[in-house]
Amino acid sequence: MNAKVKYGIWTVIAVIIAYNSVYFKKLDAMKAVAGDRFDAAAYARNYLLKVLPGMADKAIGCDRLLAGLQTDPQQTFKYSHALDIGSTRFFLVKGNGKITNIDENDIYLATDSSKAAIKIATEYIFGNAVRDASGVISINDFAGTADLNNISAEANKYIRQQILPTFKASAKKGDEVSFLGAVELNSSHLTISDAEIIPVSLKITR
Amino acid sequence: MRKFQILVLCLLAFAGCKNHENDHQPKKIAVIVSTLNNPWFVFLAQTAAAKAQSLGYETRIFDSQNNTALETDHFENAIASGYKAILFNPTDANGSVVNVNKAKAAGVPVFCMDREVNSATGPTSQILSDSYSGSVDVGKYFVKTMNKKGNYAELLGMVSDNNTWNRSKGFHSVVDYYPGLKMLAQQSAEFDQNKAMEVTESILQAHPDIDAVFCGNDAMALGAYQALAAAGKSAKVKVFGFDGAADVVQSIRDGKISATGMQFPKVMAQTAATYADEYLKGRRDFPRKIPVSVELVTQKNVSGYIAFGKKN
Repeated sequence: MNAKVKYGIWTVIAVIIAYNSVYFKKLDAMKAVAGDRFDAAAYARNYLLKVLPGMADKAIGCDRLLAGLQTDPQQTFKYSHALDIGSTRFFLVKGNGKITNIDENDIYLATDSSKAAIKIATEYIFGNAVRDASGVISINDFAGTADLNNISAEANKYIRQQILPTFKASAKKGDEVSFLGAVELNSSHLTISDAEIIPVSLKITR
Repeated sequence: MRKFQILVLCLLAFAGCKNHENDHQPKKIAVIVSTLNNPWFVFLAQTAAAKAQSLGYETRIFDSQNNTALETDHFENAIASGYKAILFNPTDANGSVVNVNKAKAAGVPVFCMDREVNSATGPTSQILSDSYSGSVDVGKYFVKTMNKKGNYAELLGMVSDNNTWNRSKGFHSVVDYYPGLKMLAQQSAEFDQNKAMEVTESILQAHPDIDAVFCGNDAMALGAYQALAAAGKSAKVKVFGFDGAADVVQSIRDGKISATGMQFPKVMAQTAATYADEYLKGRRDFPRKIPVSVELVTQKNVSGYIAFGKKN
């Protein structure tokens, strides 16, 4: 075989190997892949600041919730939501009240209409109450339970770091407060006195 | 021609008889469980089998003895023996995936109970305790009970099991917010009571000043309590468990153990058996994972609970 033909064949083979060994991708495409990873902090921030405030009209009034739990708990629990199977349920609640006491774990309110005593948690902001109470987050929308756990953790962190410090610094006995929050109750072992509302928004109105 | 017609009629009659007989043979569902050396898993397996039987299936319980090789044998046996579905409590989140995939390839659906496998596509559905959230509740109670300060040890379960880490992560997602709470030791006791006793004894020698032990299951909580009692420290050191086993529920009543996360194996087992029945009747739209809530049991509310569940 002619030497030139031989070299030509080898050159073509070398070019084919080199071409298939190296891939070039646009930087935008790589960023898009990286961006597919679930950002729980961003999701939680959007959920707290945009989704939940837009659902305030669907939240059950605190006085109505307390009255309903005493007169017809079964019917009242139809307002609750939870991602898990079981009797741990969560309500999205709203209301107004006057601060009657403040301690290291809670702020105590007497509601405006019925003067019922309720607790707003300021220390133990943990668990799934905020994530589950609205009923808009579906387990089938997420690849794994870790993403769902991270939404709760990030939402609670935001409340602890961004929502509570300003409120705690200015709240005092006698202040009128309006709130939107989430509360956990067990439909089988109902103990209303232990219930703490995890705040989503808190405003001192007077 | 007449002989041929008679022969065909006989064959049809025979075939009809055979089909008729098959219709009356109960379909079989296998229950493959990680171990029967722990009452919690015995209850899970027996409840799953009982529910499947109540739905008209023949069942058999296979004990993997925490051994993935034995688990593989059970899967091969179940597939070869014509079991139509498998209710499965895996031995290893990663190591058990191959068995699930083998069953799937053979057209046998697998429904995981309590423990998960790290596969989004293998099992038809996974019905799991929400261990992370349950441990968040235990962690919150731990912080309150300890008044936000003190030294503690953590006993982990089997390191290859996702529940071990979900429980540990849930607990630490609360407790680590409190710098006054210091973890002096973290060791695996493999969900085993005797190992937990030995591990706690060695932890006490190295760290005699611990104030609490958080255990990833109730068997380990009992082992830790035994070691503390033997060292004369059970009144001072608080023990926290996870499961809702009979002995721990009683120990909470007696004031020996502080709290546990109550799981509901009955809910998981019955849901898995019901799903298997629905699958065999044609349903295909199952959620990949279904968490089952875990409830905190303390001395304050223990009167409402029994082993592995609630009082009716």
